Amino acid sequence: MNRFTIVRIPSLKDASNRVATTQGAVLRAGGIDLLDHMKEGLQAPSELVELHAIGGDEGMKLRSMDVHGDGRRRLGALVTLAQIAELEELFEGHQALAQAAAHAATPGIRNAATLGGNLLQRPRCWYYRHVDLVCLKKGGDMCLAQTGDHRYHAILGGGPSYIVHPSSLAGPLVALEATIDVRGVDGTVRTIAIEELFVGPTVDPMREHCLAPGEILLSVTLPVPAPGQRSAHAMAKEKQSQDWPLAEASVRLRMDGGKLRDVRVALGHVAPVPWRSKEAEAALEGQAPSAELFARAAQAATGPAKPLPGNAYKVPLCQGVLRQALHEAAQIPLPE
Amino acid sequence: MADRKQTLRLGFEGHLRKVDVTLPATEATPWDADSKLEIVGTEVPRLDGHLKVSGRAKYTFDVALPGMLWAAVLRSPHPAARIESIDVSKAEGQPGVKAVLAVAKPGDTLRFAGQDVAAVAAERPEQARDALALIEVRYTPLPFVVDTEGAMRDKAPRVHEAPITERRTEGDEPGKAKAGGMQGNVRALPPNERGNVDKALRESDVVHEATYVTQVQTHSALETHGVLVRWDGDQSMTVWASTQGIFSVRDEMAEVFGLAPSKVRVITEYLGGGFGAKFGASAPGSRLGFIAGELSRLARAPVKLMCDRHEEHVCTGNRPDSRQAVALGGRRGKLHAIDVVAHGTAGIGTGAGVGRNAFSLYTRCPNARVRAHDVFTNGGPGTAMRAPGHPQGAFALELALDELAAKMGVDPLKLRLDHDEHPLRSMQLRQGAERFGWDELRKRSAQLRSRNTRVRKGVGVASSLWGDFGRANAAVATCSVLRDGTIELKNGVQDIGGGIPTVIAQVGAEVFARPLSTIRVRYGDSDYGPSVGSGGSTTTSSVTPAVRNACEQARVALQELAAKQLKVPAGEVRWDGDGTAHGGGGSITFGQLCKKIDGEAIVATATRPATYGHEPMAFPGSKFYQIAGAQFAEVEVDTWTGVVRATRVLAVHDCGRVMNPLTLRSQINGGVIQGTSYALMEERVLDGDLGRMLNPNLESYKILGARDVPEIEVMLTEVHTGANNTGAVGIGEPATVPTAAAIACAVYDALGVPVRSLPITPAKVLEALGMIPGRPA
Ligand SMILES: Cc1cc2nc3c(=O)[nH]c(=O)nc-3n(C[C@H](O)[C@H](O)[C@H](O)COP(=O)(O)OP(=O)(O)OC[C@H]3O[C@@H](n4cnc5c(N)ncnc54)[C@H](O)[C@@H]3O)c2cc1C
Ligand code: SF4
Repeated sequence: MNRFTIVRIPSLKDASNRVATTQGAVLRAGGIDLLDHMKEGLQAPSELVELHAIGGDEGMKLRSMDVHGDGRRRLGALVTLAQIAELEELFEGHQALAQAAAHAATPGIRNAATLGGNLLQRPRCWYYRHVDLVCLKKGGDMCLAQTGDHRYHAILGGGPSYIVHPSSLAGPLVALEATIDVRGVDGTVRTIAIEELFVGPTVDPMREHCLAPGEILLSVTLPVPAPGQRSAHAMAKEKQSQDWPLAEASVRLRMDGGKLRDVRVALGHVAPVPWRSKEAEAALEGQAPSAELFARAAQAATGPAKPLPGNAYKVPLCQGVLRQALHEAAQIPLPE
Repeated sequence: MADRKQTLRLGFEGHLRKVDVTLPATEATPWDADSKLEIVGTEVPRLDGHLKVSGRAKYTFDVALPGMLWAAVLRSPHPAARIESIDVSKAEGQPGVKAVLAVAKPGDTLRFAGQDVAAVAAERPEQARDALALIEVRYTPLPFVVDTEGAMRDKAPRVHEAPITERRTEGDEPGKAKAGGMQGNVRALPPNERGNVDKALRESDVVHEATYVTQVQTHSALETHGVLVRWDGDQSMTVWASTQGIFSVRDEMAEVFGLAPSKVRVITEYLGGGFGAKFGASAPGSRLGFIAGELSRLARAPVKLMCDRHEEHVCTGNRPDSRQAVALGGRRGKLHAIDVVAHGTAGIGTGAGVGRNAFSLYTRCPNARVRAHDVFTNGGPGTAMRAPGHPQGAFALELALDELAAKMGVDPLKLRLDHDEHPLRSMQLRQGAERFGWDELRKRSAQLRSRNTRVRKGVGVASSLWGDFGRANAAVATCSVLRDGTIELKNGVQDIGGGIPTVIAQVGAEVFARPLSTIRVRYGDSDYGPSVGSGGSTTTSSVTPAVRNACEQARVALQELAAKQLKVPAGEVRWDGDGTAHGGGGSITFGQLCKKIDGEAIVATATRPATYGHEPMAFPGSKFYQIAGAQFAEVEVDTWTGVVRATRVLAVHDCGRVMNPLTLRSQINGGVIQGTSYALMEERVLDGDLGRMLNPNLESYKILGARDVPEIEVMLTEVHTGANNTGAVGIGEPATVPTAAAIACAVYDALGVPVRSLPITPAKVLEALGMIPGRPA
């Protein structure tokens, strides 16, 4: 690992400028993904600008969670996964987010990893993470996974890069229609829908989000849940401790006169971006919930899937986790 | 002195009998079923446990010497290449760099990605790594092949031009014969056959044929390979090594540097695991000892070379993979033929055999044949790994057996009992089945299958065989009774983690009837006298009998001293439970007696003789005792996602004498955990086009985590084998032999269809269930 300097700057403005203008300076939040990159020799930043050093009101807002007057819930970018995981009880209608946070990574990582860093982390593709290999994402001319071992890669929306988006929180936030506040380098704050944060590989295979250096993700806002809104998150992993999901599903819905309403479905770890499944939503909207309906909706969700030769298993697996999430959100017991 | 005859009570519960053995005159009378022991066999927590959990135990990784340099190795990025030139000059003179070494020469052929090319020693580790980047090497890449099947094709690139000889270590099973010639990349290992298998298969009324595949597993010990070399003048050196074979390190360093072995001192105070990959000063795929020693010589300073996790995965050994074409013949409800043709790759190395399971477990099957082959590929060399060959062999055989049982309509447990001759294993299978609830659980699996439930449960059973390969005359132990009453026990054995120092102390405490606190164990240093490598599950059975003999001899001398003090003949001295000597109406405490010792101490040195018994049954084809075991596993499978959880394992094991139930259980837990991990997740992934390992870390190389560990129940069936004077045999390896096989059988029971490839991932389960679009089961 290279030598680097830790830089503590108390104001957002100065921190942002520092990153925007200094060669090799990067923001550090929890530092989990950043350190992974540095230890693997993928990145050798000269300066780590500490987001945790931001002081005063600005700092407090980055670290806190609160409820707006109108009932919207704001989560600061430095809120940790562990803190979010603890909210499940309180999170009327937004359980999916707490559940996803609770199942991501390990207790140790969740204590350090932040909401902002989680959304902005880089993919886990093993070609990307191998210091000696150069693929499209690192400026090379081909995707090594496409012709290589892509067991953990995308089945939906893949190409020319076939990464899966690594964030477990992104899916629930898409399902819950969250927005984010981003501070531009010039100090203006813009609010965008969470889906707009993510950049697919057809746009640019070298990045996964649209923030420019020095731009700071300030917070995530969850809309006021509709009465009776429920949500759920499900995932499947090869290993139950310290592993990445093979597929995840997040569902938001509410029941109205025995029918499903306002259904939103987002799938994780199956596509280069958190994948909103309009096909599943269409299959569910206005229908009476049942195990059979959920099976059909799951089929619809993977309808557009184009698996690579070595990852077709993710099609049924993705259907399985979506069915689990639907059963939980609609409170229909899983079959034995 | 003449040998002496002794009658011992040997065997196991319900099968104890009197057996006459012939003992060398100097041999202590073996502890047998009638021995009443006070300390050996009790739950003594490992003596250094608190040091380990508090971080005070110093591993090789932690040793730091004044002026010590750090080495780093430049490794081949190519799976096959010829070196055209190496220029190390730019690395010399870099900040902190004290020595640079070209390990490979122009003209050398590199055969796997990760092979040694050059090395640097510098004041700081990052300086050494930075300097590596300045070494200029021109390579001509050569054709390569990294997958076993690809390497078997006619036109495959040849990995080795010349036939190669086997590299064997103390981790390999003793007594394997030499292999045959090479055909392309394929080299036949010595076949085994009894009866006439071709004929038997023709006679069979049911034949099951299928191919079973296992993956490459890396040892992944928590502490990586590494050495620290300090030259003490130019004819001797001290080496701190993360090794499971102190004396193999000593011998290799002596040979490499032309030193007398007595001039090489090797120290391994604490060791973070080895699993078979840490014999000798080199790792199987990297000349670590030579590199550190040579850099140290050049730089005239101690040099430490520790592998990082990436290096640990690619060049320090692995468990070879296997493709086993199995044919089983059943005739009139009985197993009539076993035929296994195995191919596997140990990369550029040898040793892809599949163990003894198929040939030696179900010996009531009259016809059996195993033909195994090494297939060379451009991958890091395999090496012995915890029960080399056996988990692979067990997986294929036991799952095939269950499939045959299903075709014949017999219970798989019954099929095993019908063909296993080992009386103890048969008992283990019966008692284990009872405790596990085999019959009810098999019924439950069938019900869940017939209801086609989402979540299925299944159970499986598999057997273990291993030999008590405890070595004669290898470990020499010294017992010193000091004037202050301390009993010091010395032997140069390393503690691979099994807890041997604790067990040595127990033996001393037992012989002298002294508290454990008065026993001091010195180990982990070649200066403490010859010992064995921790391989073949032989440490306790090789070392403790030597320790006991040394203690008994010192005690005889002490008894003579007591006799003198009490003024009675030595034969009339009686010892009580505190180590106080009584005789002629007087008594003298242990402490008082020790003060009477002439000089510093009473010192006795001893070893152990060859094995003299093997009750109730020998290891096939040898005089060693056969260690028996059986494991029952339960799994839960989510058929929507294909995720398999191992929920419960009952491990029934023979352990000779239980020296310490805590350390013993810890070995069994470890074996089961490692086996479960092998069954469900571990897999080295090499990219076929690039020849590089894609998961050289502990994140995507997946090892069972805390939440994945099944509930482990241990059932011990103690055996008095009469093989040596403490009665210890091995457990480290037997404990991992059947786990993956039992889990695979359980998955088959749960699903009704087999998954014939390890690891059993969700992908393979979903495929077996026929759920993958375009790919019917
Ligand atoms: C073994 C393991 C398993 C894991 N499993 C999961 C899992 O199941 N699901 C999952 O979602 N994640 C998982 N993770 C990843 C982990 O959750 C992320 O690495 C972590 O959330 C990143 O957050 P951080 O705060 O540490 O980010 P950092 O590493 O500090 O930052 C990541 C990147 O974001 C930038 N950044 C951070 N915050 C801001 C901000 N507010 N504004 C602008 N830029 C910013 C940084 O400059 C950096 O480039 C796993 C990680 C490991 C090691
Ligand atoms: S999936 Fe993306 S990151 Fe992975 S090899 Fe292809 S281009 Fe590179």
